[in-house]
Amino acid sequence: MAARKSSAKKAGVDKAQREFVAEAEEILERMREDLGELSDQRVAGAEVDPDLVNSIFRSAHSLKGLAGMFGFEGLSELAHRLEDILDGLRLGRIRMDNPAVDLLDEAVTLFTALFTQLGDESYEAEAATRIGELVARIETAAEDPSQPQDSLDPLDIAPMLLRALTEYEEHRLRENISRRRHVLLVDTSFEITAFEEGLSEVSAAIREVGEVVSTLPSPGDAPESQIRFSLLVATETPAADLSARLEFPDTDIKTVLAATAAPAESSAAPQPPVEASAAQSGGAEAAPAETGSGEVPGDGATGKGGARGGDLESLKSISDTVRVDIHKLDKLMNLVGELVIQRSAIARIATRLAADPTTSRIAAELFKTHKGLDRKLKELQASVLDVRMVPLRQIFEKLSRVVRRLQRDQSKDVNLGFSGEATELDKLIVEQLVDPLMHVVRNAFDHAIEGEDERVSAGKSREGNIWIDASQRGNHVVIEVRDDGRGIDPTAVREKAEAAGLVEPGQLLSDKDCLNLIFEAGLSTATGVSGTSGRGVGMDVVRTNLSDLGGIVVVSSEPGRGTAITMTLPITLAIIQTLIVAVGRDRFAIPLNSVLETLLIDASEIQRSERRELLNVRGEPLQLQRLSDEFGLDAPPQDRHYVVVLGLGELRLGLLVDRLDGQQDTVIKSIQGPAAQVRGIAGATELGDRGAVLVIDVSAIVEDSLRRRDAA
Amino acid sequence: MQRILIVEDSATMRSLLASTLEELASPVKVLAASNGFEALRLLPREEFDLVVTDINMPEINGLELVSFVKSNDQYRDIPLIIVSTEGSEKDREKGMQLGADAYVVKPFEPEALREVAQDLLSRNPVAK
Amino acid sequence: MSESMDSNHDTTPEWERLARGAAGGERDVDLEPELQRELLTFQLDGTHYAIAVERVREIIRLREITPMPRVPDCILGVVALRGEIVQVLDLRERLGLASSEPTRRTRIIVLHGEDDRVTGIQVDAVRDVLRVAEQDVDASGDNAGAAVAELCRRDNDFVSIIDLDQVLDFNDG
Repeated sequence: MAARKSSAKKAGVDKAQREFVAEAEEILERMREDLGELSDQRVAGAEVDPDLVNSIFRSAHSLKGLAGMFGFEGLSELAHRLEDILDGLRLGRIRMDNPAVDLLDEAVTLFTALFTQLGDESYEAEAATRIGELVARIETAAEDPSQPQDSLDPLDIAPMLLRALTEYEEHRLRENISRRRHVLLVDTSFEITAFEEGLSEVSAAIREVGEVVSTLPSPGDAPESQIRFSLLVATETPAADLSARLEFPDTDIKTVLAATAAPAESSAAPQPPVEASAAQSGGAEAAPAETGSGEVPGDGATGKGGARGGDLESLKSISDTVRVDIHKLDKLMNLVGELVIQRSAIARIATRLAADPTTSRIAAELFKTHKGLDRKLKELQASVLDVRMVPLRQIFEKLSRVVRRLQRDQSKDVNLGFSGEATELDKLIVEQLVDPLMHVVRNAFDHAIEGEDERVSAGKSREGNIWIDASQRGNHVVIEVRDDGRGIDPTAVREKAEAAGLVEPGQLLSDKDCLNLIFEAGLSTATGVSGTSGRGVGMDVVRTNLSDLGGIVVVSSEPGRGTAITMTLPITLAIIQTLIVAVGRDRFAIPLNSVLETLLIDASEIQRSERRELLNVRGEPLQLQRLSDEFGLDAPPQDRHYVVVLGLGELRLGLLVDRLDGQQDTVIKSIQGPAAQVRGIAGATELGDRGAVLVIDVSAIVEDSLRRRDAA
Repeated sequence: MQRILIVEDSATMRSLLASTLEELASPVKVLAASNGFEALRLLPREEFDLVVTDINMPEINGLELVSFVKSNDQYRDIPLIIVSTEGSEKDREKGMQLGADAYVVKPFEPEALREVAQDLLSRNPVAK
Repeated sequence: MSESMDSNHDTTPEWERLARGAAGGERDVDLEPELQRELLTFQLDGTHYAIAVERVREIIRLREITPMPRVPDCILGVVALRGEIVQVLDLRERLGLASSEPTRRTRIIVLHGEDDRVTGIQVDAVRDVLRVAEQDVDASGDNAGAAVAELCRRDNDFVSIIDLDQVLDFNDG
């Protein structure tokens, strides 16, 4: 979305909106899971767990608030309707067999689809229609038979407590009373500094036999140091029995309302909310069929999503799959990284032991153990990495949908072809790749592919073609978007670049260099380019997005024949192998996946041409950049240098350093502090015995150096 | 510098509230709690000049928090704004009964929230 | 600069206890009814300064600091702290005081950070935790926005209370 919106909105808004979309996606994910659970419970004929309904309600409520805040009125409206249904459900105003309940799944599916297209103007009109339709159906389905409610005042509860009950909690209290459960008040006090653990123990103990309707905090006897909680509890266990179960100090239990008759189930029932309730099961099962939506939710494998919304995303749930929060994987990855550091420590000890003849035998055994450990750690590392990998298929499917829609809207015939959709990338990278990739494909569709008449008169097929190919090359994945459109004319780009002051008239540039000027901010945002060059705005944002991921993008084109945009990305952002280099007293780590080779050269081999330094490598000139110049480091003059040849896609740069200090597996950590964001530094890593080492952001260094060359 | 405590379980809403309130005319320090428990822990740590809370939250809801603040001699003078979505009139009424000083409907207009907050902050002469 | 790795991991226990206790762990002294502030005091160029105790996460001995390019002069670099990489600020430089070589007593005060912005500040020596009544704290009289916003009396001396938000804010240049 950065690619789409950044020109129009302030950066701050953009960031907030990104957070919004991320949070909304989380909420929808949770709603899907909860709805699946709800449908299971309904099918099982059980009394539906009030916490579950409340959780779904809160999700809808949050969505409504968020969407409203960002001015997405349609989304907010739909969320509002959902909230109404769920509010009715949790407050007992709507019964579980109301047909509106069956529209919940559909609404969440529509939401998910709308979010993937957010900000896509052409889609917004269609979205509004769909939302309107669904809202209308929800309204017809849900009628609102309000029930008269008994007053809660006769209960022996402090007015303060009653007043702090939300409408929902009041409903839960009534519901429990009508189910003839005891209502108890559990008072418990804690030290203010450590109340959470104690309180959650008490709550957990109560939840074993009943429901905590509300938890009201109040000042304790010593208000500065103590806090009291009054828990309103509904349970089938009498106060005396509960009191025996709760062996906590400073805890009093008082009966607010004694159950008038023995409850149907024995007091041993561990989970009152899910007790079997035969009365409801018939209705719940019959309901879905009546709405004509076709499927009875609930066989576990297909029940969750309900692919009822035409070409909307179908949400499959696969029974042998576990969902994992990516941050948990990050944590696992960090642990592996730390183990790797420990392993290096073992190697050092072994080396020390080996030096002493009296311990050399132990050293040999330790080396063997180290080797075994090393092998297992590598496997562990690879397995954890593997878990993070997802195929590009999902993105490709998204792109297909976008192109199909563009075709409909613009009545332009374009075939979209794929290869390599099984290529895998780190989940985090895939997520951040969606926007730039979408942008490139849309540009190809909108600007590169000519109109039908123009194509026919150029001797091309009536319909245009876009191909997306993905493939893995070593530690990188290369994604190429090709089209057979009008191509880009390097001369036209050059003219624009000169007009924009990016290139001096007469400056020597190859056609390839000219083409790649489309990624310059000053040029790609110039509106005039799109018509003549076949490329639209925002390519600078595409480049920035990719460089944030440690990747690069280049373009090649044949005027009249077509264009290819090639994106090269690292496979993962997690543990990487690094080369440790040194300049003077400073050390840096360079991700090894960007290092093509290292050369030891004599200072005399460096050639100077104007202000650049070059090295002849097997007949090809390689531009050099001294790391000491780049970062302003003290570097004593040297006779010999190491050249670390960095390769990013087709770009090459030789980084000049004093020494090489070996290779290390490292986990890149972000730097914390008031001035943590520094161009050229990707983060830092902890080397077992040597403190922190900064990790070089290769794409930034390579790009900056080559840009300086182009500008010179 | 006056201190504001935000209690809100949505991260996005939290940062919106924070950035809105950080732009008040007088300099303020904004702290945020993502649920009622965190708020209870933060309250004794800092001297707050304003509390801004959501209603629908897990664990301890906003009303319960209002009740706690307003029934506690240490905190009862801290002005309190409830920020919650429309449609929960009953909850809103209860909040005001419990002693909340203002109610702002989500989605809120940043300027409107700032106005209410500024008004409450300037009414409280204890802070410096 | 580089003591051996194992020994310089040590924190100074009593300071850490003081700092942690006041920052929300077990409070061993009840708050008195009058409003009190707890300040961690330290020494810088012969003068006493203080910061709010609740901002302090831990105090560590000086360890090897990796310099960072392209940062303001007052950022000494980064240290590795149990897996975290944390920038260290030279408070002398930041406050415009004369610079000096680290000594045996030099410490890094690690501050809690919001949004993962944990920061270390290097000081000449850490002194103690001071409890002062709110009424004993006065505005410093400096311009608003100055790093030292408040003063408090201690015996016959003054302690300058540093406004950390100001000191850690690099946006205003």
